[in-house]
Amino acid sequence: MKRNRFMAAVSAAVTVIMLMSLLFTGCSSKPKDPGVALITSAAGANDKGYNESAIKGLEKAKQEFGIDYKVVESTDIPGSLTQLAEAGYKVIFSLEYNFDALIKGVGGNKPIAQQFPDTTFVIFNDNPNVNQDGTVINKNVISVLFDVHEASFMAGALSTLVNENAKTLFSAQDYNFTQGDAGRKIGFIGGTKSNGITVFSYGFAEGINYEAEKMNVKYTYYSDYNAGFTDSAAGSTKANTYYQDGANIVYAVAGSVGDGVDSKAKEVKKLSIEVDANKDNNQPGYVLTSVLKNTEVPVYEIIKHYKNNTLDGVKGKALNYNLASGATGITDLSVIESKIAPEGKAKWNEIKNELDSISKKIASGEIKVTNAQAGEAFDKTKLKNLSMPND
Amino acid sequence: MNLVDNILYDMLYHSTPILLAVLGGLFAHKANVLNIGLEGMMLTGAFSSALVVMLTGSLWLGLVISVLLTLVLGLVFSFLSVTLKSNFIITGFGINLFAAALSAFVLKFMKLANINVSSVVDVASLKIHIPLLADIPILGSILSGHTAITYAGYILIIAAGIVLYHTKFGVYVRVVGENEEAAKSVGINANAVKYAAVLIGAALCALAGMELSVERLALFTNNMTAGRGFIAIAAIYCGRGEPLKCALYALLFGLAKSLAINLALFAGPISGLFEIVPYLTIVVVLFMVSVIQNRNNNVRGFKLE
Repeated sequence: MKRNRFMAAVSAAVTVIMLMSLLFTGCSSKPKDPGVALITSAAGANDKGYNESAIKGLEKAKQEFGIDYKVVESTDIPGSLTQLAEAGYKVIFSLEYNFDALIKGVGGNKPIAQQFPDTTFVIFNDNPNVNQDGTVINKNVISVLFDVHEASFMAGALSTLVNENAKTLFSAQDYNFTQGDAGRKIGFIGGTKSNGITVFSYGFAEGINYEAEKMNVKYTYYSDYNAGFTDSAAGSTKANTYYQDGANIVYAVAGSVGDGVDSKAKEVKKLSIEVDANKDNNQPGYVLTSVLKNTEVPVYEIIKHYKNNTLDGVKGKALNYNLASGATGITDLSVIESKIAPEGKAKWNEIKNELDSISKKIASGEIKVTNAQAGEAFDKTKLKNLSMPND
Repeated sequence: MNLVDNILYDMLYHSTPILLAVLGGLFAHKANVLNIGLEGMMLTGAFSSALVVMLTGSLWLGLVISVLLTLVLGLVFSFLSVTLKSNFIITGFGINLFAAALSAFVLKFMKLANINVSSVVDVASLKIHIPLLADIPILGSILSGHTAITYAGYILIIAAGIVLYHTKFGVYVRVVGENEEAAKSVGINANAVKYAAVLIGAALCALAGMELSVERLALFTNNMTAGRGFIAIAAIYCGRGEPLKCALYALLFGLAKSLAINLALFAGPISGLFEIVPYLTIVVVLFMVSVIQNRNNNVRGFKLE
C-alpha cells in the first residue's frame, strides 16, 4: 500500500510539472517577424565546417542587417521545414541532403514548397528543383551549388607538385615520404559512391593528371568510395594500406572518417587532405590543405537579397559558387607553409604561383574540370598520366 | 611491410576491441545475462578516455576514469536488468542509445567536432616494439608493434579461462547461468554473481574503447565503435562462451575486416564488394556453428539443449 501511495504521489508531481511547462510555453510571446531559420545537417552546428560556417553567415547578417535567426538541429527534415514555415520564417536554409518532401512531396502530400508559397527555401549541394525538360518546379526554392570540382582540381595539382618536390620542400626528419616511382601514388577515400562525392574525386584526379602531364611522370590513383562517414578507425587503416603501398598523400571526403585519416597521416609522417572547412590545424603539418565549401558566402548573400527585397531575382534558380566567388577553394596553406624548410622556400613560392595561374585558367575556362555533380560524365581514359585501377 | 604482414597486423588491430568486448561479455553470457549493451559500454570507454586524456593530459587518469565511468554504466544495466528484472534487450539497447547520445551531447556542449588528443598522445610511440620477436618473418607483425592494451587483451584470454574454469567465482558464474534455482538453493547469491559478471564486461569494454580511440588514433569521433560491440556478441555466441573459442572467432572477424581493407587495393572496380566480407563471414559462421551444434544435440530423435 505504502508503495502505491508513493507512486501515486510521484505521478501526480510529474503531471503537475508537465502541465506547468505547457503553461509556460503558452505564455511565450510570438514576435511578428521571426527572421530566418537554418536546419543543420547531421554533422551538427559545431562541425568546424559546413554547418558552422553557415551559422557564421547568419551571425554576420544579424550584425549588419539586424535580422534574427534560429538554428535547428533535426533528424526529421520535412517536419522541421513545415514547423519553421508555419512559425512564420520567411527564409529557411536546409543544409541536409534531403529534398523529396520539399520539392516533390511524399506520402501523397503536396510538396512543402507548394504548401508555403510565401516562404523561400534554400537547399545545398544539388539542384533537384527542375523537371526532366529543365523547367523549374517550385518558384520559391533556391539551390546552392559549390564548384568543388574546381577546388579539388587545385588540391590535385598541389598534391602532384608537393609530391614531386617533397625532398626540397620539407626537411627529412619531419616526414617519411616514399621516394621515386614507388611514391607516385595518391589516394582518395570517399564516404559513399554518389555524385556528391565523386565530384571531389574526379576533379582531384584531373588536377593530379594535369601536373603529372606537365612534368611527364606517371601516377597511380587509389580510390575507395565505401568508407562510410563514422568508422574513423577503419578509415585510418584503409588510409594506411595506401600509405604503406607508397602513397604520400590521401584525400578523404568522408565526414569523421577523415579525422582518422589525418591521425594516420601524422602517425606515418605523410600527408592528408581535408574537406569542407579549414581543418589544416587538425594535425598541424600533416594536413596538406583543405578543400573548402564555405557556406558563409551564399547564406550571407541570400539574406542580403531578403533584406533588400531582391529575393525574387534569385528565386527558383540554382546559384553556382565557383573558385572566384571565394565560397570554394583550397586554404591559404599557411599551416603547411610553416613546415617548409628554408632551402625549399623558393620552390614553394614557385608552386604557389603555379596554383595561382591554374586558378586563373579555371576561371577563364582554359582548364575545364569535370563536374560530376552536374551530371557530366567522367572519362578516366582521357587522363594520360594517371591510372585509376579502383574506379 | 608486405601484404601478408599488413593483413596480419591489421587483423590484430581490428580484432583487439572485439576480443576485449568478447572476453568481458562472455562472463555475462555464462551467467545467463544477455548483455547487448557491450557496444554502448565500449563507446563510453572510448569517449570518456579521450575526454579525460584531453582535459588532464594523463593516459593513466584516462584509463582509470573511463573504467570507472563504464562500471557505473554496468551498474545501471545490472540494477535494471538483474535487480529490477527488466528485459535485457531493451535495457541493453537503452544503454547503447544513451552512450551514443551522451557523447554526442557533450561534444555539442563543448563545441567540438571530435576529441583530438594527438597533441598529448603520440600514437607511434605507444606501439611496443619487441626487439627479437619483431625480426621473425610474418609472425613479427603479429607479435610486435602493437599497443599495451592489445597485449593485455591476449593475456586476458588465458586469465579469463583460468577464472572461469579454475576458480570458485568461475564455478559460481557457470552454475548461476545453468541453473539459477540450484545455485540459490546452495546459498550462492545469484544476483551478486550476475552483477560481478556484468561489471567485468563493462571494465573490459572500457579497455576496448580506449584502445580504439586513444591508443590507436588519439581521436574520438561520434559513434566510432561502429557496431563492434554487436560483432562481439556474435563471436560470443559462435564460441558458446568459451574463452579460447570466442577469442578465435574475434580474431576471425578481425581477419575478415583486415582482408576487406587490404585486398580492396588490388580488387579494381569491384573493391566495394569486399566491404561485405566481414558481415558475410558473421552470417556464414553463425549458420555453420548452429548447424553443427544442432546435429550434436540430436540423440535418438530427442533434442537436448
